[in-house]
Amino acid sequence: MPQATYITHDGEQFGVEIENGVNLMQAALDNNVSGILGDCGGGCACATCHVFVDDAWFERTGGPSELESDLLEGVLDLRETSRLSCQIAMSDELDGIVVHLPESQI
Amino acid sequence: MKTVADLELAYLPMEEPSFASDPWPHFSAARQTHPWLAQCAFGYVVHQYEAVKDLMWMDDRMRPAQDMIATIMGADDASPWGRMVVRGIAALTGDDHIRLRNIVTPLFTPKQAKLNQQLMRDVMTRLLDEWAPKGAFDFEEFISYFPIAVVCGMIGAPAGEIGRMRHSLETLGLQFSMNPEILPELQTATVEIDEFGQQVVADRRAGKVPEIGGELLDVLLKATGEGGMSERELYDLLIFLFAAGYDTSKNMMTWIMHNLLDKPDMYQRCAEDFSYCQKVVEESFRYQSVANAFRLTSEDIEYQDTLIPAGTMLFFPLSVLGRDPEAFPDADTYNPERVHENRHMGFGRGRHLCLGQFIARAQIAEGMHLIAQRLKNPKRAGDMSWRPFFGVWGLNGLPIEFEDAA
Repeated sequence: MPQATYITHDGEQFGVEIENGVNLMQAALDNNVSGILGDCGGGCACATCHVFVDDAWFERTGGPSELESDLLEGVLDLRETSRLSCQIAMSDELDGIVVHLPESQI
Repeated sequence: MKTVADLELAYLPMEEPSFASDPWPHFSAARQTHPWLAQCAFGYVVHQYEAVKDLMWMDDRMRPAQDMIATIMGADDASPWGRMVVRGIAALTGDDHIRLRNIVTPLFTPKQAKLNQQLMRDVMTRLLDEWAPKGAFDFEEFISYFPIAVVCGMIGAPAGEIGRMRHSLETLGLQFSMNPEILPELQTATVEIDEFGQQVVADRRAGKVPEIGGELLDVLLKATGEGGMSERELYDLLIFLFAAGYDTSKNMMTWIMHNLLDKPDMYQRCAEDFSYCQKVVEESFRYQSVANAFRLTSEDIEYQDTLIPAGTMLFFPLSVLGRDPEAFPDADTYNPERVHENRHMGFGRGRHLCLGQFIARAQIAEGMHLIAQRLKNPKRAGDMSWRPFFGVWGLNGLPIEFEDAA
């Protein structure tokens, strides 16, 4: 099964196996990864599952959609590699992906 | 495993006016009886922050219970209010909910909130110019013209009609108060707001250009024209937006003002420092907000070694969860500088998370910032009472007197 690594702002790492098609927000909550809220349940409506995609993986995830960009305007620490993890679905191509978590979602 | 019916639970008399005026001892007592669950007249109340956080995320296993509320109210779903509330966006599930949500979500993003900040400031400045010279007024009446005028601006509806519709909007603000006696008024109010929305749509389709704004309706009309939603769904969505845009922010701002009347230093800082004012808004939502939510379980749920059977009505008192001492240290202390380890759930959680949260946050902060600059040394000038706790809670009137800084 493909894997993802979540790294918190203070360096704690969570390695998680994720089925293809499951998004990185859902997988984080299912595996008690701290630092992801996912208030809207994955509807791309709240911007509380913000992550920074590791530079080495950003080309593969691609950038945010227009709606996602509009929501990202509400996050505290917006960067070029910012994405909402509910909008990144696991796939074979993303096996091994690394994402970094912001200090706060709120 | 015990079912909820086997548990010893506190009863929360949420239907009583005395509960609405002071619910805190009731929730403290409920926590002593059971860590996360209590009973009320129409079902069960999940009163623990963590339990609400967990359960409201189970959208696949519960649904909004508007049809149950309509039944309790005695409303036929073919009647105006029954139809609007049972088939509206807040009641929908599955693909229909996603379809409508996908149309409206882009209209309520943080970007849209920023784009509408000047509209919010213009509306509040106009209101203050009109009302502040009075030197005294009912703050709730004054502020009732603010959020709805912002919504009207976004839709491009004539804000001059708000006064005429205010009674109907007030009535719809009580639609989830679980009081069947107001059903005839709800039907009349729904028809009036519906006719207003239909006229706005007809005018726009006829090429009438709104005085300000209107982009929101343009997007909805485009989506309707492309088959994204039906005419009826469009009109019901407008009723929803008018109603939701009226009373939640109004009640929240009235409560914030009520609270700040006893905190003149904080009030003054709100005038001077917008970022502090934003902190006051967030802390206010944590300390006490206005919206409460309800769901009906659609399948058996096992949670914390307890069986919640399918068909159970669950109330989520979002307005008081920020005072859960397990989730918020020193929860009864109001402190805008508090470091939030948990965020309040004033806007709900899950797929029915409040659509307007970014607009609401922005307009409440912008509005309070300008109010604090203009209404100096505000003081209470009369009695106040509380709205029903069920549905959208809050103060019923807030007479104040002040000095006009103009």
